[in-house]
This record gives sequence, C-alpha cells and structure tokens, in this order.
Amino acid sequence: MIRKTARKRTWFVAALLASAGLFASTLPANAETGVSSSEIKLGITLPLTGAASPGYNKIGNAMNAYFKYVNENGGVYGRKITLIQKNDEYSPQLSIAKTNELILKDKVFALVGPLGTANFTAVHKSVGIAKRKVPSLFLNTGFSGFASKKNYPTSFTILPSYAMEAKIVAQFIKENLTGKKLGLVYQNDEFGIDALGAFKDAGVKFDVSIPYTSGTQSAATAQTWVSQLAAGGAQVVVFFGVTSATAPLLAVSAAAKYAPQWILGSVGSDPLTLRALGVPVAVLNGALTPAGNPSPNDTSDEYVKQFQEINAKYNNADFDDYVLQGMNIGLMTVQALRAAGRNLTRAGLIRAMESKGSSFASVAYSPLGYSKTSNVGHTGYYMAVMDAKGDRKPYGGSVVLYTTDSAKGPVVKSNFKRPAMPAKGLPTNS
Amino acid sequence: MRKKILLFIVLGWVLLIVGDRVDELRVYQGAQIAMYTIALASIVLLTGYSGQVSLGNGAMMAVGGYAAALTLTNLQTPIWFAFLMAVIAASLFGALLGAAAARLSGPYLAGTTLALAVGLPAIANQFTFLGGEPGILFDVGFPPERLGEDFTQYKWFFWIASSIALVALFITSNILSSRFGRTWQAVRGNALAAELAGVNSSRWKILAFTISSALAGLAGAVFAMNISLVAPGAYSLALSFALVTGAVLAGISSLPGVAFGALILVAIPEVADALAGRLGDADKLNNYLPGLIVSVLLILSVIYTPNGPGENLRKLRHKRKAH
Repeated sequence: MIRKTARKRTWFVAALLASAGLFASTLPANAETGVSSSEIKLGITLPLTGAASPGYNKIGNAMNAYFKYVNENGGVYGRKITLIQKNDEYSPQLSIAKTNELILKDKVFALVGPLGTANFTAVHKSVGIAKRKVPSLFLNTGFSGFASKKNYPTSFTILPSYAMEAKIVAQFIKENLTGKKLGLVYQNDEFGIDALGAFKDAGVKFDVSIPYTSGTQSAATAQTWVSQLAAGGAQVVVFFGVTSATAPLLAVSAAAKYAPQWILGSVGSDPLTLRALGVPVAVLNGALTPAGNPSPNDTSDEYVKQFQEINAKYNNADFDDYVLQGMNIGLMTVQALRAAGRNLTRAGLIRAMESKGSSFASVAYSPLGYSKTSNVGHTGYYMAVMDAKGDRKPYGGSVVLYTTDSAKGPVVKSNFKRPAMPAKGLPTNS
Repeated sequence: MRKKILLFIVLGWVLLIVGDRVDELRVYQGAQIAMYTIALASIVLLTGYSGQVSLGNGAMMAVGGYAAALTLTNLQTPIWFAFLMAVIAASLFGALLGAAAARLSGPYLAGTTLALAVGLPAIANQFTFLGGEPGILFDVGFPPERLGEDFTQYKWFFWIASSIALVALFITSNILSSRFGRTWQAVRGNALAAELAGVNSSRWKILAFTISSALAGLAGAVFAMNISLVAPGAYSLALSFALVTGAVLAGISSLPGVAFGALILVAIPEVADALAGRLGDADKLNNYLPGLIVSVLLILSVIYTPNGPGENLRKLRHKRKAH
C-alpha cells in the first residue's frame, strides 16, 4: 500500500513538471529584437549606486536627456528611443545578471555605453554578446583588448585605449620632462598592465614602479606608496588607476608635503569623485592629465554649448565631464542608428558602424578609428593641466593633439579637425 | 533505493524536456535554481541535521568557486575535474573550520561563521593571483558541437548544473537517511545523551561541517560557471543571508524542500522588479527591494514557520488524519 502511494506521488510530480514544461513556450519571433515601428529599445549597465557610482551614475540620465530631445524632434526616422538603465554597482557579476535581463527579458536592440573593463569582459563572455550578435556600442573603457575585431566582432569602444594614453604620456615625458626621476603607480590588472606595456615599448624607464591590486585603497597603503616614491626621489609621478585610489595618494602626499609633478591617467583624475571621497579638489592643482574632450565649462565650444542647453531643459544636472560624455554617446548613438537606415537590424547597425562610424560628429578632438578592421573609437589625446578647482586647460595654452594606435605605431602630432556639431544638435546623416 | 534512482531519473528527464521548452532567461534561471538547490542542501545537512548554525556558507561557496576557477585557468583541465577540486578544497577547509566549530555552539558559532562570510571573500582583494576585485573569468567553453547550433550556452550551463544538482541531492539524501543522518539527529537532539550512547559528538560535528562544505563548494563552482566568473563580490554577505533565508523557507530539516527554497531565491529579484515597476521609480527601488524582501521573509518565517512551511503543512496533514 505504502509503495503504491509513493509511486503514485512520484508519477504525479513527474506529470506535473512535464506538463509545466510543455505549456511553457518561447515568445514569438518578430522582425528585429527591440525595434518596432514606433520605438527602438536600448540598454545600458552602469553603477547607479555603490563606491564607483559618483559621476558615472550621471551618464545614463544624460544619454536619456539627449534621447528625449531627439524624440521630441521626430526621433530616428519616426522611431522614439527608449533607454533602459540597469544598476550593476560596478560589479562584474551584477553586470552579467543585469545584461541578461536587458537582452533576454527587456529584449533591447543594442547595448550602448556599458561601463568598466572587468564588467564588459565578463559580460561579453558570460552573456555571449558576440554569439547572440548583439551590438554593443561605445563601450566606456579604454582596455585595448577590446580592439580585437576577431574576439569582439559586435562591440565598439569610444575612448582611446589605455595603451594609446600611455604612449602619448610617454611621448610627452620625452618631449617635456627629460632628465627627471620618474615614478609610476599602476593598477595591476588589464587597465594598468596595458599602460605598463606601452611605456616599456616607448622606452620610458621608471625609477620607482609600484603595482597595486584593484579595489578600495586605504590611506595606510597610500602611505607606503608615497614613502617608496619619496625614497626613490621621484620628481614626476605617473598614476594609472581609478580616482578612488588617486584620492588617498594625493591626500597622503599633500599631508607629507611631497609634491612631485603628477601625471594622472584620464580615469584617475576626476575632481567630482575626489570631492565625493572627501579629498579637497585643490590637490589636483598643477597636475597634468591626458584629455580627449574640451572642458565641460568651455562654453565657446559648439558641442559643449548645445549639450548644456539640452541638459538645462531635459536633465537639470550639474554639467560636468560625465554629463558631457553621456550626451556625446547619445549623439553618436543617434548617428549610428540613422546610418543603419530605416530598415533597422542588428547586422545593419554593425555594418553602418564599420562603414560610416569614422565620420560621426563627436565632441572629442581626435579622429574615430571605426572601420571594417577596427572597432576602436577615438585615437588620441591632448595634454591638459588642472587648476585648483579641478578644471582643465590645454597644456601650453592651446590644444596639441597626439594620435596613435594601441600597438607599435608612432605617436604623431595631428592637425585633425573634428566634424562640426550637427545643426541644433540633431544629426541628419544617413 | 531503486525507487529513489527511478525518481531522480524521471526528474532528470523532466528537466531535460522543460529546458527545451522554455525561453533562455528561464533556462538561465533554472541553472541558478540548481545551484541554490545544492547550496541549500548543504545548510539542511549542517543545520537541519547536525544542529550547527552557519552564516558562512557564502564563504564556503567562495572556496569552491576559486578552487574550480584556479584549476580550470591554470591547469586547463576538463570541467568535471574543476568541480572535483572545488569539492576537495571546500571539504578540507570545512574540516578545518569544523574542528574549531565543534568547540562552539549557538550564537558563538553563528558569529564565527558570520565573520568568515565577511572576511574570507575579501581576501581575494589582497592577492593578484586571485584576480583582485574584478575576479577571474571562469570559462567552461562552448557546448559540444554535436548538440547543434541552436544549443545555447545557458542551456549548456543548465544541463551541467541540473545534472550536478541531481547527483548531489541523490547522494545527500542517501547520507541523511543512513546511519550518518540518524547520528547527526541524535547529536542535535541531545549531545550528552548521544555521547553516553557512545557517539563522539565532536567528530560527528566535524564530519557534518566537512560534507556540508563540500556541497557548498560544489554550489560555489556551479555559481562560478553560471556567471562565468569568480569575484569576491559574487560571494557576498548578502548571498550567505539569502541562503539561510532559503533554507528556513525550505524547511531547515527538509531535503525535498530545498528546490522550493531555491525557486524562491531566484524569484525574489523578479518579484522585486515587478513590484518596483508598479510602485514607480523602478531604478531606485530595485536596488533595495530584493534585500528587503529577503529580510522580511526571514523574519516572518522565523516567527510563523520556524521549521519552514513544509513542516507546518505536514503537521496540518497529521492533525487532519488524527481527526
């Protein structure tokens, strides 16, 4: 009797599970995922909360503000853009979960502006971005590994690579700071190692070289760095890390009255993050940094002026580098969608990026490198000097643009003139 | 025994059919459910049977995850070997912890394991070979080509995770219904009485910690496979708490309940998402709602169903039968 009841129960459970499986069905296929006659759905993962969020959490809203502006002016061939933002707290595992939601649940057409090297490396592998053929436009990371068309066939970066940045800094040191004792502090992962390789190739040798493991850095750790740098007599210190590590380094140095010529990598010199971490922005005074965009306070720049107007009307956030970057990603996204044509497909968008991407209007001074063989965005920097408010001006008074590649190509001074901002900030390209 | 084997084969077959019929997001969630099932089984064994409270199962999962990832990355071994190493590393670690834990009980044990859950994953930040905060990629490779072009990566994860979960549950259920399970229950019920009956309670507690950690380590490796990554943030304190909640909801001493507990843990973010969507300002709410739901569920179940809803249902059924 007991055996009979148990068997009955087993079969009941099996039948129940089987029927649940049979009833569950996949969603019907449509013309192109995330595109309807009236809407284009795009997705972004970024840190909206957590330690890395100050500044970065403004990018999504800035993009959204620009898309609202475009939507109110007719959208992209009549389709309105919807941007879905997901908070990944800058952690790779959350990035994976949230990107899964974007692609499998929200069914976005493409990813735009996802942030972080480790995050996107993990997402690309885990979610299978290339295999699913999901376009991932304007990755906000400078890791030169993403420059591989073979490994990342549907992804396109926007920032110059860390290798390019290091090569340009190396050239600058050779031209302007020869004979000085050099120090280097770098994050010991793809980010810093990318730079380290480029410095080696450029023949720049550091008298003191300090690697550190990524993560939150304490004042005590920074103290050991400063002691090593000071003991080695470093007169110029190059820093390749994130701002949360720059903060204790500069704060401890200021307290110890150690004042070398700082050269801070582009991602490690954000005044807003420094302020959020309780470090006075004044410590940045006189620091050099490679920069791609004009200062967000430069209202004589046509891009900055237009974006500031859009920000005032649709976003109302303090206009800084992050808002500028977010709006610019919006501008480039709209150009890419237009270039892909009225019959919008994922494959068409990737083709458009490859064939027309290099001619897009963008706020950054350097040329865009998109082509059939390259998925690299901007390819150069100018050196800027920061003031006590964290604002930057071109070193020497005017922009001297250097361009290069992530490999062994030379660093050259460039006379490139970026395309003009489209009238009223609304692209009309096709 | 034959009946049990048959049940697991049927379950496997049903999972195979279900995996073929549902969309990819559900397949991915299915792999997560399988992972949580193994993790919750480790808590049921440790807390439900041997009576030792551990808040550090997330840390044990981290040991397993890192062991598997380091094996896979550095030795380029087959996947099964990486999982085996996860089990071995976590059980060794569990044995060490068990030796210390056998001297502790109640809140002291909970406190020690809690400290472990906080501290252990953070160690990875200090060592470059553990990948720091970004962690190490865990790449089990693409599914075999003979499964066809349409066979997705997530379906591959689902197959692996479900198979491992079924085997792990089968072994665990046999252990629990054997002399081991009965001895642990005796130690949990009254350690002194068990000692008088000739049971070395410390040794049995250490054994429970070892086997439970092996299961947690295996779950950690499956977790790493599902997200293709091991990173300190993945094995957070929140994970340890979620596991305890899942185990309480499953019925702390009920092995069949673990699948239900796992299902709830995977469903919580979905429910939070839907709730946040209705309440407006989804972005902000979404950050905090899952944690809130986990906490509320834990408090409610401790008050109303301390041994899990399964236990209450069983009692209700017995009452009805008695009438």
